[in-house]
Amino acid sequence: MTEPAEAPALLEIDRLTVRRHREALLDEVSLRVRRGTVHVLMGPNGAGKSTLIAAILAQLAFDGRIAMNWAETGAIGYVPQSFAVDPTLPVTVADFLALTRQRRPVCLGITRGAKAAIARLLARVGLSGLERRPLAVLSGGELRRVLLAHALDPEPELLILDEPTAGLDDAAVAILDEILLASKRSGKTTVLMVSHDLEQVRRVADWVTVLDRRVAVEGPVDILATAHVRELLPAARERRAARA
Amino acid sequence: MTAFYAWIGGLAQRGVLPSDFQYPFLVRGFLCVLVLAPILGGVSHLVVTRRMAFFSAALGQAAITGVALGLLLGEPLNAPYGGMFGFCLLSTLGMVYVKRHATLPPDTLIGVFHALTLGLGLCLLVALTRQFNVHQVESVLFGSLLTVTDGDLALLLAVGILVAVLLIREYNHLLLDSLSPPLASVAGAEPAYLEYFFALLLTLSIVVSLKIIGALLVEALVVVPAAAARNVARGTRSYLIGSVVVAFLAGAGGLGVSTRFLVPTGGAVVLAVSAIFFLTLAVRSLTRRNAV
Repeated sequence: MTEPAEAPALLEIDRLTVRRHREALLDEVSLRVRRGTVHVLMGPNGAGKSTLIAAILAQLAFDGRIAMNWAETGAIGYVPQSFAVDPTLPVTVADFLALTRQRRPVCLGITRGAKAAIARLLARVGLSGLERRPLAVLSGGELRRVLLAHALDPEPELLILDEPTAGLDDAAVAILDEILLASKRSGKTTVLMVSHDLEQVRRVADWVTVLDRRVAVEGPVDILATAHVRELLPAARERRAARA
Repeated sequence: MTAFYAWIGGLAQRGVLPSDFQYPFLVRGFLCVLVLAPILGGVSHLVVTRRMAFFSAALGQAAITGVALGLLLGEPLNAPYGGMFGFCLLSTLGMVYVKRHATLPPDTLIGVFHALTLGLGLCLLVALTRQFNVHQVESVLFGSLLTVTDGDLALLLAVGILVAVLLIREYNHLLLDSLSPPLASVAGAEPAYLEYFFALLLTLSIVVSLKIIGALLVEALVVVPAAAARNVARGTRSYLIGSVVVAFLAGAGGLGVSTRFLVPTGGAVVLAVSAIFFLTLAVRSLTRRNAV
């Protein structure tokens, strides 16, 4: 496989600045996400990781340049950091996954082809048989896996995950790892992921960018071993201490 | 249509249909309910999902102002659609634009529009009483089957088909946008377009329903059917079917009550739909208790 630093960039960000009420949430951030890699954004709370994702998804105004160099479908899959479900909303898992899978309105029924695709997607994230369960009664971990299934359909060229391991148990994290590693092996999907989970990052990442409103440091996953980078990740350090 | 009404009347006289169907205005009213139920039921389940109940209430108030404006500008008393649609459209565009560009919470901004249109409407209604007897505009405020014409029915049908076609086209994006605007945006939907699009569909649906339901009560039929269906629905399909069925039962029930007891149609329909809502609420509580 091509080394991450040498592979062509799918996503190029140059001098990206995002301001809110004159305060810079991101200040002249430049980075490149190489094709076919798992690129992880880390940093303390308020470092601008989710803001950077929102800018990439064109959900907020910014200064600077973001360029996508699509080679295939140009499809983006996205798992947001938060997804609030109205507890009385009668939308099932299958309804939700069918929203982007079929043209027919889901309220008029789910097509046979969509049903089969949904069953495959749910099996892929370890949730077989949950089609008829309302979104509102899913646990936090199940909901995140349903969101992951949604992000994987259609097979994305760029998969953006914002803290995907939050609320996941060990078995679910293993499934996520397998999906990320399979994406890497296929070379078709590039992953940009925000994470505080150092152990998972070590297992799957090719490249790490530590943000603190600007790029503090970046490099191969080995940089996580350096004392300098650990100092920049207070949240991760606290989490590890709490677990111990 | 006269031959059709005569044929239905004949069936009613022979006892094949209820005796009320001898009267063309009741047949027309029933047909209106048949068309209104899928329109309002279909729209209502998205209104509730997209949390636009207060927006609908403000549109109903804007319709009163629109009617007054239309009549003052010389529109006929039995079809003040120009003023009504024009002013509702302006209010809709204004509310959506301000909601998208201001930093205040949406309900606060809609409250401002609600108060503004109501105040303007009251002033115009007072001016209107110099030209018309206020009882003549009662049908627009509370709804009346006596004033519904074949032209109104044809307009209702045409708008119903248009709304259904447009809703079918954008339904999945609208629902995904209600659940998560960022996910809808990633899926290729344009949130601003969807917001204006649905607000315009809602405006159209409300304007054509006003002669039957009335401006003061129309919000009930774009909110309560979905609220009732939501109490018992288990998926989007049963949610839609439930909303349509509740809107139809409320419409037909309200129609029957209003002709028997000579009360305004809109009021009777709202009482019927509210009764259905509390019934479904009770069903939900019972099924939950049994499930525990």
